[in-house]
Amino acid sequence: MPEWKSEIRKRLAALNLPPAREQEIVEELSDHLENLYEEIVAEGATPEKASREVLSSLSHSDLLAELRATEPNAPPEPIPAGLENSGRLFGGLGQDLRYAARMLRKTPGFTAVAVLTLALGIGANTAVFTIINTLLLNPLPVEHASQLVAVNTAVAKSTSGPVDLRPISFLNLKDYREKNRAFSSLAGYSSPTALTISTGPESQRVFAEVVTGNYFDTLGIRPLMGRFFLPEEDATQGANPVVVVGYAAWQGRFGGASDVLGRSIKLNNIAFTIIGVAPQGFKGINAIFGPDMWVPSMMAEQVLPTQQHNALVDRSILVFTGAGHLKSGVSLSQAQADMKTIGVALEKEYPDANQGQTVTLQPLTQAALAANQRQGLLFGSVLLMAIVGFVLLIACSNVANLLLARAAARRQEIAVRMALGASRWRLLRQLLTESVLLGLLSGILGFFFGYEGCQLLWSFRPAEVALNFVDPHLNANVFVFVLVVALFTGLIFGIGPALRSSRTPIAETLKEEARTAGRSARSITLANALLVGQVAVSLVLLVTAALFLRSVQREYTIDPGFETKNLALLLLYPGQQGYDRTKTEQFYKDVRDRLVTIPGVASLSWATNLPFWQGVETGIVIEGQEQRKKSEAISSVVNTIDLDYFSTMGIPLRAGRDFTQDDRGGATLAAIVNDTMASQYWPGQDALGKRLQLPGQKEFRQIVGIVKTSNYQTLGEAPQSCVYVPLRQNYSESMVLYVRTERNPVQIISALQSEIRNIDPALPIDDIRTGTKLIEQALWGAKIGVGLLGVFGFLALGLASIGLYGIMAYSVNQRRREIGIRMALGAGQASVLSLILRQGMTLVICGVGLGLTLSMLLGRVLSRFLYGVGAIDLPSLAGASLILLSVAVIACYLPARSASHVDPLVALHES
Amino acid sequence: MGGNMDQEWKKGSAELLILSLLEDQPRHGYDIGKLIESRSGGKLRFHIASLYPLLYRLESRGWIQGRWIEKPNHRRRRYYRLTSQGEKTLARQRQSWREFIGAVSRITGVEHA
Repeated sequence: MPEWKSEIRKRLAALNLPPAREQEIVEELSDHLENLYEEIVAEGATPEKASREVLSSLSHSDLLAELRATEPNAPPEPIPAGLENSGRLFGGLGQDLRYAARMLRKTPGFTAVAVLTLALGIGANTAVFTIINTLLLNPLPVEHASQLVAVNTAVAKSTSGPVDLRPISFLNLKDYREKNRAFSSLAGYSSPTALTISTGPESQRVFAEVVTGNYFDTLGIRPLMGRFFLPEEDATQGANPVVVVGYAAWQGRFGGASDVLGRSIKLNNIAFTIIGVAPQGFKGINAIFGPDMWVPSMMAEQVLPTQQHNALVDRSILVFTGAGHLKSGVSLSQAQADMKTIGVALEKEYPDANQGQTVTLQPLTQAALAANQRQGLLFGSVLLMAIVGFVLLIACSNVANLLLARAAARRQEIAVRMALGASRWRLLRQLLTESVLLGLLSGILGFFFGYEGCQLLWSFRPAEVALNFVDPHLNANVFVFVLVVALFTGLIFGIGPALRSSRTPIAETLKEEARTAGRSARSITLANALLVGQVAVSLVLLVTAALFLRSVQREYTIDPGFETKNLALLLLYPGQQGYDRTKTEQFYKDVRDRLVTIPGVASLSWATNLPFWQGVETGIVIEGQEQRKKSEAISSVVNTIDLDYFSTMGIPLRAGRDFTQDDRGGATLAAIVNDTMASQYWPGQDALGKRLQLPGQKEFRQIVGIVKTSNYQTLGEAPQSCVYVPLRQNYSESMVLYVRTERNPVQIISALQSEIRNIDPALPIDDIRTGTKLIEQALWGAKIGVGLLGVFGFLALGLASIGLYGIMAYSVNQRRREIGIRMALGAGQASVLSLILRQGMTLVICGVGLGLTLSMLLGRVLSRFLYGVGAIDLPSLAGASLILLSVAVIACYLPARSASHVDPLVALHES
Repeated sequence: MGGNMDQEWKKGSAELLILSLLEDQPRHGYDIGKLIESRSGGKLRFHIASLYPLLYRLESRGWIQGRWIEKPNHRRRRYYRLTSQGEKTLARQRQSWREFIGAVSRITGVEHA
């Protein structure tokens, strides 16, 4: 007879049972096997065959798994060697994870719904965080970012307010570079400037930055291909036309050609040689908008616009922002003190150019965004982050509800485990492991949702500058963020249900039969509270989206001060095409004369400034108020315009006259100011006939007219000063052609283009904008924001509706017996329907009430960011409530209808 | 009854079967297994791996109680008897089983299933 006991003992070893218990089981089972053996032998089998049969019955059985489920002291899974079973807080984490994975696999439907819900919430958070990470947190893809410092000119102002940061002149930068003791290297870079590039017969517009030869070395950037500038290439003015192209431009404009190095391209009609390609991800220092290429500073005259042609020799032309690499051991404040000393000396040495100016340092990462950009982005980021946070909370509360329902179904399992001696902590840990595992799975899916969402969002960037726009950074920050959110999410939605489950009363539950084990009254209350909260939060999000939507709608109706309808703008750079002044002036005249004859053109004019893209010039001198400039520099928009500009733009003349043919070279220098400037600098006087001097100009101009103020930099901005000067007295080599049309300008754009091509076929004329498109672009950021708010608002609504439907359906299912009795006692379908509907909608209405209160409170906070919409905006509140209530009615109606179709007989027999 | 149905069936009513067999007298595991097999005409069979864990489970719930008994000329064996709690459970499970069979019969038209 075989030794059954040792066979059984071998199989039980993994259970680690107490010796006495193991002995007992071994004895009982071996008795069973012995009986079986004797029986088989009695039927006539040989002892060998009988023992083979018995053993095979033993080895085919899943004895171990079955016993593991029943034996109180058996560990759920074998413990790997080297791991202690007890005495460690997280000793069995691996087992917990394996067990959790098994539980999730057992209920694929639950797992799928929970993971999908959470992934949507995590995805929304990932997308928003990726944007913030790209624009605010990690804007400089350079080495040793903490040692890099931006150097700017600070213009002293008597009024307290943000310091006006401006670039440094080339000569000052050179002095700072030579005299400072704080930096191991100090470079300079201009802002992106528009150039004309011609690679063949066609021309296009590109953006280039003028940088000192040590720019890339200072930042610690290595070329992807080729090399960056050599010191000797940035030593002699105009001697070395070389260019480094950015990765996106290399891909987008040169098709990623491997032989791009050494190629010759024409920039502003001058042949440049491509010597290198910058690495992917580096698009200059600005966090949002980057150049297509970089040229050495010694080529500044060939590349920069007319007004800045003397940038290398004139200390009053401020073009370069300094980027310095601190010597090791030198702090920012030490460097600031060192530079300030040099600044004071420079002010004394060159008072004409440097008076009233100081030098200021800040970490280069801060220079990546202008102060106003940073504020706008910060506000938008905080708002969006809060909103996606709420979306995630709704998702969490949905999953918490699902877990509560599942916990009800698992009460028996949990009670048995507790009865068999599992501690509450052990149980809690097991349940939390499950929810954290759910959170992590959702995190993985959510990461992809977020990434795809970001790509989608990025596809909405304006096409004209798509190559110059920063790309979303997916780096360690984002991964860590998603991981933390996923873990946190798992804990948030898991902790409530887990605490509740682990409090299961053992004896009571064990007596219950599995089927009647339902949700306790308390867990229904928790679920209802979650539901009310969800409805309230969804409503708040919908109201927020509605408020901003209405604000943007209102912004479309803002009067920018000029007529945007039937207006076409063509950006032309004849000076960059190699034209001299005479030829350019002839070109301006030819275009005027020939285009005005095209049918559909009402009038046209030239101006240097593009609406909403106008820079402010500082240092205007007003005759009789010269003393003022010592303490306060006068700033104003300056626009050089041709004849008929005001009539073409629809800007009314308030006093005096428009420019005429006679305002030409040799005649008295003329200027027109807007009414803001007139009332600010000549209060209570007539500005007409007064004189002012523009920065960088030697002579005074007489004011001949006053026009109405319009918007110059942003839509709906506070009124600001503007000075207009006539083109014939202030030559510019690149201008914007403004064409007022009689109908939709899109219809005659091709006629305009072909007429200009007749004058010069090589001139790039692809940059055409219409007035309405300008408004669109001015509101682009706001529209994207509203779009995001809307998407997240409806995502929240969708999630809350699913939650509402889920809990209603569950509660109807739990009450089938009660409903059956009601119907058996004569309740009609209609009354059951209304009973369930009433029950669900009561919760919804509580949520709406709470949500409306919160929305009104939030509206007060948001109102200063809204345009033309009050803190309590009835259409937004009513509209959002209506949408929410309609969706909620549907979510309640479906379960209610199924309740009203309950067959009393079936329902009663079920229980 | 095929293998699959056998599995399904066991899940639902194995507890009831065991409790029923212990109602009139205490029995040991092998005896219980044989009785289920013979009384079902060989259609239901309990494997060692499902029978004993189930017995332990019922015991841990307090519905049955096992005790080692030595009879002359026999090995020491573990006999299970029904506890008073087990009796109540048996009565309740019988009742719902009866209702279930009744409901199935009414729906399917199979009498005296």
